[in-house]
Amino acid sequence: MASSRSFSAGSTLKTLNSSSQPRLVVGCRVREAESGLATLLVPEGVLQLKGTAIDILRLCDGQRTLGEILQEMRARYQSADPKHMEQEIETFLSRLQQRRVIDF
Amino acid sequence: MLTLPLALIAELTHRCPLHCVYCSNPLQLRAYSEELPTEAWTQTLEQAANLGMFHVHFTGGEPLARSDLVALVSVAHSLHLYTNLITSGIGLNEKKLAALVEAGLDHLQLSFQDAEESFADRIAGAAVHARKLALAQLIHECRELAFTVNLVVHRYNLDRLESIIALAESLNPQRIEIANVQYYGWALKNREWLLPTREQIQQSVAIVERAQERLNGQIKIDFVTPDYYATFPKPCMGGWGRQLMLVDPSGKVLPCHAAAVIPGMDFENVKEKPLRWIWEESSAFRRFRGEDWMPEPCRSCDRRALDFGGCRCQAFLITGDASTTDPVCSLAPAHRLIEERLLHANSIAGSESHPAPLPQSPRSWTYRPQPS
Repeated sequence: MASSRSFSAGSTLKTLNSSSQPRLVVGCRVREAESGLATLLVPEGVLQLKGTAIDILRLCDGQRTLGEILQEMRARYQSADPKHMEQEIETFLSRLQQRRVIDF
Repeated sequence: MLTLPLALIAELTHRCPLHCVYCSNPLQLRAYSEELPTEAWTQTLEQAANLGMFHVHFTGGEPLARSDLVALVSVAHSLHLYTNLITSGIGLNEKKLAALVEAGLDHLQLSFQDAEESFADRIAGAAVHARKLALAQLIHECRELAFTVNLVVHRYNLDRLESIIALAESLNPQRIEIANVQYYGWALKNREWLLPTREQIQQSVAIVERAQERLNGQIKIDFVTPDYYATFPKPCMGGWGRQLMLVDPSGKVLPCHAAAVIPGMDFENVKEKPLRWIWEESSAFRRFRGEDWMPEPCRSCDRRALDFGGCRCQAFLITGDASTTDPVCSLAPAHRLIEERLLHANSIAGSESHPAPLPQSPRSWTYRPQPS
């Protein structure tokens, strides 16, 4: 499974693949409010998490592989188009990787 | 509808072993005798958490100058606040770092003044660069802490930006912040020396972009551009009284670092009023909130919800009127005042017969002093 983005030759960005084990980097954490709203706290601010983002990040525990995360999400959201969902999740995680929120 | 603040900037003290010529502290520094006691800070943190704030940024002066810093980090952490320490590092050692991490510190931002020791120490007005390098190694080895390296850039170090980034990179942070000087407080006093040239800005943008590309996914580089060269103003603090509250060492509550300079304002103190009341009801926080205060051209501008008319303090410092459009805006009536400064900065730097003088002696710079 290729990352959904490609980078120029100068970049040494690691590429997500199905055996990657994504985890939140030190200094980034999810805070869950009593209301059920979850927020991603990073050193320079907050990112409000919408939709399935919080589900995905909860699964990024450094143990599960990307393959297992995708499998788990397919099981949870059976009505969603699996191909589309995979792409969305990979794009989301790649974006967080570039922001230094997740690593693997 | 009024939203709640996101973060508290806790300016614990104005004491600092450094004397940086661009310090953002106000010219009227708070004395040690005015500082809030631990108990008052604890109550302030509790009120911040109750207001739903996410982050607390412990800053100063040098926050490590407070002997109760570890205790305050611990209080904030127990209230589920994200704790950030903004520091020069002076006052830190292995034992103190371990205690801060144990207390629940999430993130530490360490400042450097240059890549070269002699320049760095001259800007800081203190021999501290070598000590900072040693501390960066300690911080890197502590895997439980997020680490940002901060470098303030200006005319006298922008030509070394590549080596500055190389230095920052070698310290293994997760994040590098390259911040151009903002002209408030002591920086405004030294503006003539610090304001970069247009050519330096253009080159620095290209250098930062190349580094961002090269370090993509390894180190995040945030670049704060100088607003004097911008077409539109910065959305200062995310808007007046819209996201942030700053408590100064004496307990005075401000919407930003510089607001105390604006005359005729009545800033409340945490010793007398709760944070929530100050946020919701105080005249100071309501003064420039929203759009009712806006003059033209802001009032009818499409960008008014993006930049909120820019910075009120800058409007006051440049024009003498805090309720006018930020003069860095190309549409502002007072924009020529900024253009004049830029013309001056570019002409003194650009002419071979008048090379920009590098001030060598403390007589040329105004160093930030120690408060009493």
